[in-house]
Amino acid sequence: MKKDDKKNGTQAGNGDGIIVLKNVAKNFGTSVVLDNISLAIEKGKTTVVIGPSGCGKTVLIKHLIVLLRPSSGEVFFKGQRIDNLSEIELNKIRTHYGFLFQGGALFDSLSVTENILFPIRQHYEISDWKQAEELVKAKLAMVGLDGFQNYYPAKLSGGQRKRVALARAIALNPEVILYDEPTTGLDPIRADVINELILKLQRELGMTTVVVTHDMTSAYKVADRIIMLHNGKIIADGDADHIRDHPHPVVQQFINGQVSEEDLAVLRMSGAISQAQFLPRDFEQ
Amino acid sequence: MIEIVGVKTIGGVNNIGRFARFVWQSVIASLLSCARPHTYPLIWTQMNIIGVRSVPVVMITGAFVGMTLAVQAYDQLAGMGLEEHLGVLINISVVKELGPVLAAVMLAGRIGGALTAELGTMNVTEQIDAVRSMGTNPIRYLVAPRVLACLLLTPFLIIYADLMGIVGGYFVSVVQLGINSRAYWSFSAYGVELWDVAIGVIKGFFFGVAIAAISCYKGFTCKEGAHGVGQACTEAFVASFISILALDFALAVIFKSIYNTFWPLKSLV
Repeated sequence: MKKDDKKNGTQAGNGDGIIVLKNVAKNFGTSVVLDNISLAIEKGKTTVVIGPSGCGKTVLIKHLIVLLRPSSGEVFFKGQRIDNLSEIELNKIRTHYGFLFQGGALFDSLSVTENILFPIRQHYEISDWKQAEELVKAKLAMVGLDGFQNYYPAKLSGGQRKRVALARAIALNPEVILYDEPTTGLDPIRADVINELILKLQRELGMTTVVVTHDMTSAYKVADRIIMLHNGKIIADGDADHIRDHPHPVVQQFINGQVSEEDLAVLRMSGAISQAQFLPRDFEQ
Repeated sequence: MIEIVGVKTIGGVNNIGRFARFVWQSVIASLLSCARPHTYPLIWTQMNIIGVRSVPVVMITGAFVGMTLAVQAYDQLAGMGLEEHLGVLINISVVKELGPVLAAVMLAGRIGGALTAELGTMNVTEQIDAVRSMGTNPIRYLVAPRVLACLLLTPFLIIYADLMGIVGGYFVSVVQLGINSRAYWSFSAYGVELWDVAIGVIKGFFFGVAIAAISCYKGFTCKEGAHGVGQACTEAFVASFISILALDFALAVIFKSIYNTFWPLKSLV
């Protein structure tokens, strides 16, 4: 990471991060997905992690809630080390988090109401069902889906599913909310609805927000701070303007959606297309 | 070559360790679930899916086992003039071995495949991670109710299979092959003891836990994609099938030792 990035970003160990990663590395077999990452997530701010597909964004966000444990390094939540806790101890910590999964991860066999009540029923005894219904109504109203209480996930569109999943993620009023590719697979209008929701929740509830995305429109819209991952390392860290003007060629290629010279060279390989067309023509005869 | 063997051996040992840990966690979670009344609705739901809906297929399996045994064994016994002993042969085979084993194999196909496919799909669509992210132990929420339902209901399903095997065997022996009904039942009552029926039913507890634990484990560890889920279902059925046969052999040896140890005391009683 460049010296300039350290000024803009919040490094691990400075004490003001609600979630802190210290020298976190993650390997799957011989493949290194996260390479000695140190990072502090600022309380009450929106941090966006960008990077090309397969660069380890989802692995990183899962480390923030310890759904994956690091191969080496440490994870802290509000100053407490959490990567070495048992699953039972972690379950208490995880009630402070909300997680919006890429596909929503709604439970197919449960209705929208049952999905939203799921985390509440797991941690509290519901004695007043009318109050519980009011709570579901309020959560659905926040994501603009009041009236969908009795629907099942299979009957909802992709955007609606993500909004219900968001309502479920905020059911326990978490301090931190993590979004894994919230706009992937949605048309631009519905993607913008999700962006507005992220901003609204952040504004009204003051949650610490972490968004993993490769959608730069979304990143620029919601981010207080943008981090770029490449080959398991943070190569850029700062606000939107800092990222726009970043000198690193990989950052510029990514934010401008440009293919690299190496990839272009592969595509320009002479004869590649004619070779690819050979077999189908052969079969036609 | 040595490196490949070493890697495969380490991989196999790791898998066994992971499975043993999963089973241990499932047992603990199941015991804790028994003490938590708010988990009972989950267990009831699974009992309905796993147990009640399996009754017809298990009964059909049992009936055909009894009928086939009657058809196959009749000629041998009739050749020796022992056709009236057919009831002993059919009923002891059904209640002690074939009823429990074939009912368990049928359950492994019907229930095991469904459990693996359901949990495998939940795994690849991150629903299991979602359960964890909301501070809930997925083994307690997803595995324990299924293990308890299989544990409690497999013995009952075996009783249904036994019952239908006995009825099927009687139907073919007495109604079709013309064996004297009174002789059929009196020889059966003489040859089949309560101990024989109990062995079959007790096996059900072990088979039920094996089917549920293997199927849930395969679902939890299945690889991504449709191919991954399909492969996990196949592996779950094969592993369950082999476990049922291995458990059947081990339990047969154990029960025989117990019987031989206590049989002399029976005459004193």
